[in-house]
Amino acid sequence: MQGKKIKNGGIESALGHFLKDEQHLVFGFEKGKDNVSHHVFKDSLDHYAPLNPVFSANGALYLRRIFAKGAQIVLMLRPCEIRAYVELVKLTQIEREDVIAVSVDCLGTISSKEKTGNAPTDVDPLREYFKDPEKMRWACRVCRERRGVVGDAGIRIDKNGSLWAIPYTGKGETFLSLLEGDAEAVPEDMFIVSSGKTEKFQVDMETFSKDFSKCIMCMNCRDMCPVCYCIDCVFKGDEYLPKGDALLNKIFRTGSVDIPQGKELFHLIRMFHVSQTCVGCGACEEACPQGIPLTQYFKGISERLQGMFGYMSGRSFEEPIPYVTFLEEELKDAED
Amino acid sequence: MKTGIFICHCGHNIKHTVDVKKLSEYFRHYPNVVVSEDYVFVCSEPGQDMIRESIEKEGLDRVIIASCTPSLHGEMFKDVLKKSDLNPFLLRRVSIREHCSWIGDDVEKNTEKAKRLILAGLYSAAHYVPLEEKIVDVKKSALIVGGGVSGLSAAVFLSRMGMQVYLVEKEAELGGHVRVLKNIWPSGRDGKDIIDEMVKELEGRRNVELFTSTAISSFEGFFGNYEVTLDTPVGEKKLTAGGVIIAIGFSPFDPGTKPELNYGKDKRIITTLDFERNADALQLPENPRVAILHCIGSRDEQIGKPYCSRVCCVNALRVGDAIKNRYGDSYVESFYMDVRAHPRGGEEYFEDTQEKGVLFTRANVAEIMPMPTGVMIRGEDTLFGETFEREFDLVVLSIGMSPPADSKLIASLFKVTLDKDKFFLEAHIKLRPFDTAVKGIFIAGSCSGPKDVEESINHGRASAVKLFGFLNLGYAYVDPFIAHVDPKRCSGCRMCEQACVAKAIKYDEAQRVVHVEDAACMGCGLCNATCPSSAISLKGYIDCMIDDEISAFLEAI
Amino acid sequence: MAEEKIEKNPEIVGFACSYCTFKASEMAGSLRMKYPEGVKLIQVPCSSRVDPAFVIKAIFEGADGVFVAGCHPGDCHFIKGNYYTRRKIAALKEMFDAFSMKDKLRLFWVSAAEARRFVEKVTGMYNEIKEKKNAG
Repeated sequence: MQGKKIKNGGIESALGHFLKDEQHLVFGFEKGKDNVSHHVFKDSLDHYAPLNPVFSANGALYLRRIFAKGAQIVLMLRPCEIRAYVELVKLTQIEREDVIAVSVDCLGTISSKEKTGNAPTDVDPLREYFKDPEKMRWACRVCRERRGVVGDAGIRIDKNGSLWAIPYTGKGETFLSLLEGDAEAVPEDMFIVSSGKTEKFQVDMETFSKDFSKCIMCMNCRDMCPVCYCIDCVFKGDEYLPKGDALLNKIFRTGSVDIPQGKELFHLIRMFHVSQTCVGCGACEEACPQGIPLTQYFKGISERLQGMFGYMSGRSFEEPIPYVTFLEEELKDAED
Repeated sequence: MKTGIFICHCGHNIKHTVDVKKLSEYFRHYPNVVVSEDYVFVCSEPGQDMIRESIEKEGLDRVIIASCTPSLHGEMFKDVLKKSDLNPFLLRRVSIREHCSWIGDDVEKNTEKAKRLILAGLYSAAHYVPLEEKIVDVKKSALIVGGGVSGLSAAVFLSRMGMQVYLVEKEAELGGHVRVLKNIWPSGRDGKDIIDEMVKELEGRRNVELFTSTAISSFEGFFGNYEVTLDTPVGEKKLTAGGVIIAIGFSPFDPGTKPELNYGKDKRIITTLDFERNADALQLPENPRVAILHCIGSRDEQIGKPYCSRVCCVNALRVGDAIKNRYGDSYVESFYMDVRAHPRGGEEYFEDTQEKGVLFTRANVAEIMPMPTGVMIRGEDTLFGETFEREFDLVVLSIGMSPPADSKLIASLFKVTLDKDKFFLEAHIKLRPFDTAVKGIFIAGSCSGPKDVEESINHGRASAVKLFGFLNLGYAYVDPFIAHVDPKRCSGCRMCEQACVAKAIKYDEAQRVVHVEDAACMGCGLCNATCPSSAISLKGYIDCMIDDEISAFLEAI
Repeated sequence: MAEEKIEKNPEIVGFACSYCTFKASEMAGSLRMKYPEGVKLIQVPCSSRVDPAFVIKAIFEGADGVFVAGCHPGDCHFIKGNYYTRRKIAALKEMFDAFSMKDKLRLFWVSAAEARRFVEKVTGMYNEIKEKKNAG
């Protein structure tokens, strides 16, 4: 595979050059006083950080419904964020034309709920810091793809800590052309060689009910989910959670004075809705004020359901989402 | 909301196992219900009047009829509403006969189930809105598939009534199996004469096009305007047909599939059809010994043909009759299970052949073995319980009728259903015996089960009459149950568009939402189930209707 | 006094497509075949109309089992609808399996001609679920 070895400050100078055009933007991470956060760079690339050790939200969330043409945007994000972006492209929620999506090797993240000041931001100290995987969020520890191998191009870290830019699509080639130097063979050995594996998710309804009993139906999990893209959620109406007159009607109709809970229904239906598009980033759990282990459930279910169809969300722009396609000769044992 | 509930006794059919009085009493006090009555036959004239009066007097805006299954009397009950100026789509049918009173015997349990089913109808109907039936033009032309006696008789009728007829036959010659039959019982006419008469009439008409050696390469569109592509010897031909009659006949059972019969290995073992084709050419000794075997390829569970082919007993009698007429001193023995001489006069014909000297032996034949001196039949006489071995000069196998060889192909082309024996299935065995489940597509002749010549002609004509009634109107109503997009809720993810089989969903680049092309929508509801926010919904089957039906079955009442 | 064990009867909700399974159920009724009254059908035009949310909802409202039934693959009146049904319901079954309640959801293919098969399938499901319900 061909790619370019990135010189010290190479990304910054390339993207800085790119931003000279008024219509050009870079979406990535900015180093703040004591934290790193998502940032849209316009005009200059000051305080740019390629890596962000703290996870607060999935950046693809901010990209939903980008349709305007003309503004060229380079995304410099984590693989989980680029994967969510790819799914959103397939769902026509983003116009791909003016976006170059670059996935950057992710060494792991800690939760924004923890003391974030302790985590280093540079490549080498970060590698050292996350040598102990227990320090990472669970979602990162068992992440299916922390390598920058998705999207239009990737930034990979080799064994010596040097960065490499590798194109995957025509747009990736465009990105590569921004960088100085000539393309050369990329080393086979990278720092992150494989990704985490989770055991086949298995739970029972009692545990599920117990885990979700704390849910207050704030629906933050839905709102912060990068692939929960509906502009009008089915749970907004009265169908699943009768309120007001609908609640009174139900009471008079059924004679039952219990207030319908609906939260288990909400989570299970949402789980099915995102089952093929969930990237397992854990943004839902990050957003949950009640500390429900949402990632386990959503990631666990989606990996099982994607596995049935040999699908992996965000892996490719071409693979259709399994529920809108089929093979005539498949699932022969689906019938009971 | 003012709902009227009408619960039918169906004579004894429902009342017998469902407490209809208790039900009507129960719903009378239900919120939103202003009329709740039970009646002996809601479909009768007084029953319909009762509904009309209630609509007019009480100002009903929902009508629930709990009776037989919704596929019966559908149009009739819709008309009742129409006559009272109530939109017919505010009617809800609840099946408490086929799905309740007939499937269980316990009155208490059945009544409870019927209550839940009616409740589901009540909840669901609460979400109903008036819908407009669309009217489509119906092309006054018919496609008839199969040029056998049944298809031809349908073509004759339709052409006489002035309809454009396209008749397609895959063979080079019209007439099918009947063409080779001679001296057809009971009229004594030759099949060729019957066929020639019909073909001559058709050839003389300007509104008939006959296609032989032709296959159907594609079939698309909707009733009233089916788009058909034919693959004819002179090239492709496209045409539009308002309706279709499928009359592709049968395949004679192939006795070669039963090795113990040794059919095809010895020219002294023939079928009734072989006998018909060349009875004159048979070389038999002076006083021939002839065996006739009944039920070959019929009433045989082992080869998956449990049905009676209905025509083969008379065919067997005709062979015996013919032999006896030609060779007075012949020995003719028929081996049978039962003699089922179905048609009118069949029993008398059976007696005649017995009087002429044909012997009838109730037997299970185990094996037919060709020998140098004759053909040996080994079997068991099931009346005397004895085994026997007898030698004959000729063995005639009375073969049954198998479903047409290409029944699966034709069924999938026209999207109609086959029954378990692979014959074409009618929409209802008694009430809609010529219709398929697909509107505008009818079936005729032995492709829907074994029939003799007379029955096939009648069946063809009857289907033609049904189709004529449908075509002659010149227009038809289309169910308004199609998909509809709420553009305010549509996220424009295009999942429904990708899944839609009918390609009826189109994306609007400017608005970034999808819309449905009404004429193309088939109304399956796949889009509705694919859309995570149900921004696209199938009229008549929207989420809240189904959700509430579920609740009606399960909630505490 | 020994407490008499009351037999618990399950509630089964079935989604039946209009062109195949619902027709088969009509024929089963016409032929006076018997099956438990705990089996109740919701008619849908095509099995592909069945939103997995309906199934989840039915389970949460207290159904002991849900089945989705349609035409055999390749025989769909709407040409390809049931292939999509098969994908979605198979995925939902996988999800139910993850929650250790796989036996609550079934997928049947029943053509319009298969009244007997319909009765066998629903009765079999009913009896299995009933046995489990009364065992524990």
